Amino acid sequence: MLNRHTAPDIKTAADLNVQEPEIRQTRAGVPVYILRSGTQEVLKTELVFAAGNMAAPVPLLATATNDLLDEGTAKYSSAELAEALDYFGAYLESESGADWSSVTLFTLSKFSQKTLPFLMELVCAPAFPEQEIRTYRQQGKQRLAVNLTKVDFLARRKFIQALFGEAHPYGRIIKPEDYDQLSTEALKKYHQSGYLNGLRAVFIAGQASEESISAILKAIDESGLQSGSLPAAERIFPETSKQFSEKTDALQSAIRIGRRLFTRHHPDYFKFSVLNTILGGYFGSRLMSNIREDKGYTYGIGSGLVSQDQEGYFFISTEVGAEVREAAIHEIYLELKKLREELVSPQELRLVKNYLTGAFQRSIDGPFALADKHKMLCLNNLNTSYLKEYLAAIEQVSAAEIKDCANLYFQEGDLTEIVVGK
Amino acid sequence: MIKFEKFSLKNGLTVIVHEDHSTPLVAMNILYKVGARDEDPSQTGFAHLFEHLMFGGSVNIPSYDEPLQLAGGENNAFTNNDITNYYLTIPSQNLETGFWLESDRMLSLAFTEKSLEVQRSVVVEEFKQRYLNQPYGDVWLKLRPLAYKVHPYRWATIGKELSHIENASLGDVKSFFKKWYAPNNAILSIAGNCTLERARELAVKWFEPIPAADVPARHLPQEPVQNEKRTEEVFEDVPHSHLYMVWHCCARHEHEFFATDLLSDILSRGKSSRLYQKLVKQRPVFTEVSAYMLGDLDKSLLYVEGKLVNGVSMEEAEKALLEELERVKSDIDDRELGKVRHKAESSLEFSEMGIANKALHLAYFEMLGDAGLCNLQSSSYNSVTKEDIMRVATDVLRDENCSILRYHAKS
Repeated sequence: MLNRHTAPDIKTAADLNVQEPEIRQTRAGVPVYILRSGTQEVLKTELVFAAGNMAAPVPLLATATNDLLDEGTAKYSSAELAEALDYFGAYLESESGADWSSVTLFTLSKFSQKTLPFLMELVCAPAFPEQEIRTYRQQGKQRLAVNLTKVDFLARRKFIQALFGEAHPYGRIIKPEDYDQLSTEALKKYHQSGYLNGLRAVFIAGQASEESISAILKAIDESGLQSGSLPAAERIFPETSKQFSEKTDALQSAIRIGRRLFTRHHPDYFKFSVLNTILGGYFGSRLMSNIREDKGYTYGIGSGLVSQDQEGYFFISTEVGAEVREAAIHEIYLELKKLREELVSPQELRLVKNYLTGAFQRSIDGPFALADKHKMLCLNNLNTSYLKEYLAAIEQVSAAEIKDCANLYFQEGDLTEIVVGK
Repeated sequence: MIKFEKFSLKNGLTVIVHEDHSTPLVAMNILYKVGARDEDPSQTGFAHLFEHLMFGGSVNIPSYDEPLQLAGGENNAFTNNDITNYYLTIPSQNLETGFWLESDRMLSLAFTEKSLEVQRSVVVEEFKQRYLNQPYGDVWLKLRPLAYKVHPYRWATIGKELSHIENASLGDVKSFFKKWYAPNNAILSIAGNCTLERARELAVKWFEPIPAADVPARHLPQEPVQNEKRTEEVFEDVPHSHLYMVWHCCARHEHEFFATDLLSDILSRGKSSRLYQKLVKQRPVFTEVSAYMLGDLDKSLLYVEGKLVNGVSMEEAEKALLEELERVKSDIDDRELGKVRHKAESSLEFSEMGIANKALHLAYFEMLGDAGLCNLQSSSYNSVTKEDIMRVATDVLRDENCSILRYHAKS
């Protein structure tokens, strides 16, 4: 008779292999990471630039420069560029963050050399036509107007602003009037410094022939793109605060609680990762178990640690029924207190360690995921030995260290709390 | 191209296996052939509420998530109008944990009052978060009953109204399980670092003892042909006005699906698409525009949405949109056809990245008739001609086949 009460035996993976990238260099000394793997006939080429918010003098400029790259160049109109890439079934993804901006081309492998020239053209010679800026302004203002009615969006931006202050690029928020400041001249100027002189690294992943890789390297060399890195900024940050903003028609309140915290390079980073996972980093976390699965106050609640170049932050985030707002906040602080005062049980710690090991395996599965992992390492000036240290540190961390970590970083007086809703 | 093997257990469970030994993981996907269309009109939102209850512990195992996480696995699920789908990925050495967990919850659930009570609240909060507390979040709650008068697609997966969820009883939930959650109403697919032999051995061990059930034949009321244009005006406190239009079109398994899908690609796929170039760039009446077909198992909908530029009237925007839709009925050139074929090929290739997607595809196409269909999609798209697309456009994009929701900004 089959015994359904007893779980099958579980084994922890003995050794996790991470595929090493092949690293070449452009003539300008920029590293090119190549990860040839995967079952699909597709290729991803990502160019990363030191052109995020950090390097920009004013809000929105970094994002707008990145968004408008494909809206017309010296040679092609915006419509012609779109037609050229769409025709081959290729698509672009552009991303602009706190530190970095990137442009990624996804293409069928067989069309990689046909689509490459358009990628290089829009990265190297965008024209930022006034007409396109007008359309962008209109779209952006309307999208912002919609977002400003959402409690979650409002809470997120108030939180970032409260943590870093508007004087620091990490604390900037975008306002409707920022769209009016955009001009061809300002965008071209930022493109000159951030893109033409800001290439940080290139990542090629998927099924790539030697021919197509050489073509990419050659195109980058001929483009004259120069290498660049991030600037430093003044580190003057605001005090912690508690803020409540009322939105009278809200059915739910958005809650953000957290603090500024260290980056990936800090000695407590790995321990904190385990602590954060226990608190709110996976479906079975304390916050989910209590506030969703026991109380039913929310559809979801989670916590995370964001590591940026100069300073990271920790956050807890949720949207709860307006009528249970205070009860939910009370439970969140209670969970933090429990982590400060009580040792995590051996069972829970084992579960979280195994979960994190499995999550790590998922995070390197497939060529694109693998490339993203190597991108994280590269942009943080790390190499694959860091991943081995991470896995070993997770395995070694003790319940007492978790408690110490909670006492160091989860003191209520150090936490900023933002609530938007009713 | 996904290589696979297929076999059936004595209780009627279909099992599909795709081996990929380049990954240390395995994905396991279980598709149950039950969705919101199978609900009682007075108890809508049930299939989705049920999906939540599937994580509340099963007959022999008090917690689903804990043992899975202990084994390094992760899981999720989704419900739509046609199916309820559960999937997990797990390091291959612990695959048996997945079989143990999934087979026990197919056998029976724990059905506790506490679990039902909590998940009712969670789903009510989900309803608020996604549909009520978002600008334009209630669009589908309004569009569906406008387009469908008889067929159960007239309600959304989340349910017609909050009270249906709030009133769900344990008895209702149990009978829903008994009716639909059976091996002969499910498809199991395994993709990743697992051999066919191992998958077969585990499937026989854990799933074959589960008895088959009398799954009721589906007799859904079919939607009568729509004979007149329907319109609804909504005035809400939103930042700007939106225009939504839907037309009845073919079902997923019909041959016309491919031409209809390409029609929606011509209209709005990518920045070079017609609606974007004409109505966002050249004659800006919209700031954003999108078109897609839903691809439901029964007769489905083609959907177009435009977000109006401030200052442009609803009439002007609608007129401009209809002019473009008229043009596509008689004017498509070879280059445009080539473009949407490439787009379709590329989407297929990218959509099969990763073992979890492959497992889902195999199960989904098996439900449509044969897992092997997933390898024929590309050639089906390639056989579509310009004439096919123009014919579908003419058939579908008719006034009397259309339902329009004009969502006006109050101020």
